[in-house]
Amino acid sequence: MYEIHSVEELLKLTALAAAGISAAILVWYLVRRPPLGRLTKVLLLFGLGVMPLGVALTGNISGFEYTLKRQFCGSCHVMLPYTEDAADPGSNSLAAIHSRNHSFGEESCYNCHADYQMFGTMTTKVNGLRHLFHYVTEYANSGPYGEPLPGQAKLPAIHMYKPFQNGMCTRCHSTTAPNWMANQDHAGMLDDLRKGDAKCVDCHTGEKIHPRAFAHGGNGRPPVADASRPAEAPKGAHP
Amino acid sequence: MISRLTIRRLVLISIITTLVSLVLMVAGIVYPKPLLLVLSMSMGQLFGTLSLALYLLAIVLDLQGVGEHDDIRPHIGFEGEGEGEDEKQV
Repeated sequence: MYEIHSVEELLKLTALAAAGISAAILVWYLVRRPPLGRLTKVLLLFGLGVMPLGVALTGNISGFEYTLKRQFCGSCHVMLPYTEDAADPGSNSLAAIHSRNHSFGEESCYNCHADYQMFGTMTTKVNGLRHLFHYVTEYANSGPYGEPLPGQAKLPAIHMYKPFQNGMCTRCHSTTAPNWMANQDHAGMLDDLRKGDAKCVDCHTGEKIHPRAFAHGGNGRPPVADASRPAEAPKGAHP
Repeated sequence: MISRLTIRRLVLISIITTLVSLVLMVAGIVYPKPLLLVLSMSMGQLFGTLSLALYLLAIVLDLQGVGEHDDIRPHIGFEGEGEGEDEKQV
């Protein structure tokens, strides 16, 4: 028997069931062409209104839930250097370390990159549409990891629309934890970090977060296996 | 001139538009790729809203008794007999 593992799956199944009921009513009407009596009108109201509204509602929620997942971000192949690294249990990049933390998990891209403000979810979604536009117009015909194909002009580097804000880090790294304060650099820059005059990413730079990204000097591809690479994922997250 | 046939055609267009919107919305659910999701949440829902508006318009026209005495049997395979029959029974 099919088991439902998450609310997202339940919503998807509900949406599909509602779509099936709606389609059945509409096809019945098209085949039978019954008179527009009261019963037919009520049935059509279900087929044309109530059920499609249910599909839209549950479909939207499950769709939005899915857009939070790393798998969705990796749907555009130019993101593979980022998402594959984040999912790599052997990687020591900051993205991978955070992704191994249950608080981030499968939604690690969204958790670190969603706008941290009142309408952050909405602005993040609007930015997602901009990403899609750039993908379709600039990167869609590139190599498997987003590199230019032979004879193709150099592609513009992938970059964030605005600088990475400390708030994205400090909503978890509260700047008060003893482990965090034990780091001399953190302690020395505490006021500047809290005010935003110093950025976390000034030290924790792009190549430490997403080392495979072209924008950070990587070649997009997984690292070649070597003996120095840890065989097992390091335990524990960044303090 | 709005006739009974217009109402049936409005319902027919509404049904076809709803089926298109359902296909788009289901595609967005089954294959949640960025482009399909955007299409599903924009065009799919636009078609769905449009079709519901068309259906409600058809119902309003029907309730106003537009073309009550029209005979639509010769047109596009609709069965004219029994049109509004169950209202009469109530």
